Amino acid sequence: MSEKFSDMVQLMAQTSRGDLASFERLYSATSPRLYGLCLRMLGNQHEAQDVLQEIYIKVWHHAGEYHPERGSPLTWMVSISRYACMDVLRQRRGHQDVDDLKNQLRSAAMEPQQAALASADEKSLDRCLRELSDEHRASIQLAYFYGLTHDQMARTLGRPLGTVKSWVRRGLDFMRQCLER
Amino acid sequence: MKPDRYDRNHALAAEYVLGTLTGAARRRFETWMLESPRVRRQVWYWERRFQALNGAIPERRPPAALWRKVRGRIDRSGAGFHAWGWPLGGLLAASLVIAVMVFWPAPPAPQHFVGVIQNSQAEPLWVLETRSEDGRRYLSMQGVQVDAPADRRAFELWLLPRSGAAISMGLLPAAGKEQTAALTDEQLQVLRRSRTLAVSLEPAGGSPTGQPTGPVLYQVRMVTL
Repeated sequence: MSEKFSDMVQLMAQTSRGDLASFERLYSATSPRLYGLCLRMLGNQHEAQDVLQEIYIKVWHHAGEYHPERGSPLTWMVSISRYACMDVLRQRRGHQDVDDLKNQLRSAAMEPQQAALASADEKSLDRCLRELSDEHRASIQLAYFYGLTHDQMARTLGRPLGTVKSWVRRGLDFMRQCLER
Repeated sequence: MKPDRYDRNHALAAEYVLGTLTGAARRRFETWMLESPRVRRQVWYWERRFQALNGAIPERRPPAALWRKVRGRIDRSGAGFHAWGWPLGGLLAASLVIAVMVFWPAPPAPQHFVGVIQNSQAEPLWVLETRSEDGRRYLSMQGVQVDAPADRRAFELWLLPRSGAAISMGLLPAAGKEQTAALTDEQLQVLRRSRTLAVSLEPAGGSPTGQPTGPVLYQVRMVTL
């Protein structure tokens, strides 16, 4: 992780100065991760590619806004990507059928998971997720990976809205305590 | 209802990053983020924490045509134009010291420190990181886009204990170069406790006294994450 961090900071700095070759390297290094994320959240290649295009235009123009408090450059780019995908989902989901959501979740569940949890951060997060109850864990994962709102989660899972809100809130409370242990 | 409690803000920040804070509540929270550095830091905390989840998502290489589209749009908008770019220069004139050190807690693995020394224009000048090799710890210093000082002088990096004399970590390298210094157990302990380093301008070859003699240009202070 550490070598990537310094390489990425350099690429980000050079991109902010208008160096296209560095930006292309940054794109090459990060686009599979961001495209995978958008595909997972949007469940649709066409939309994922449109959003990815907008994300990189934003990165090109705003690379100078990156700073290390936002984590690694990849963390910053992932955050931009998630918020962009959420915007698309918010516009779309008013019209999306619950059955479509369920199908999307089913097809994603068939995907092979990457085996190794490489970093200590990943191991720590994984440990805390495992300590959560099934409901709390599922609600956090549905929101994070698929951008489901409380209401969509309640409809998809067939549980009352208040129950789902409580799962998310308690799950996050526990996560914070666990991660800081 | 403006959140005024640290825990309440943290809970909102977590739901903002997760995406379950929606509609008007989300927009209100975005306004608070603009107003409050503390709220922004709480959001960044969760962005960093949740980043670890992404390792579970399979990577997928986008079609090659996508890069051509991105490139085409940049070409049309003018590749050289960068309203938010890191401007060049101003290194030695920088009186405002801005440096950020990032620390990732990594239990049970050895603590791993990463820092980026930036000047007042937020240019990254050097990247600092600790490494473990064969049971020994090192501090790596990598020059990013630092201009060479005038008059053959040198930039020297100092580890600052909470009290007591500064400890030299050696001369900082030029842009594109890397320098590595072995960390003794005592130095590592100082780093853990103070999390502070400084850069001074010294004669060629470094300070003749073993303590900073020139102006301290940058002080790197760890941000508590």
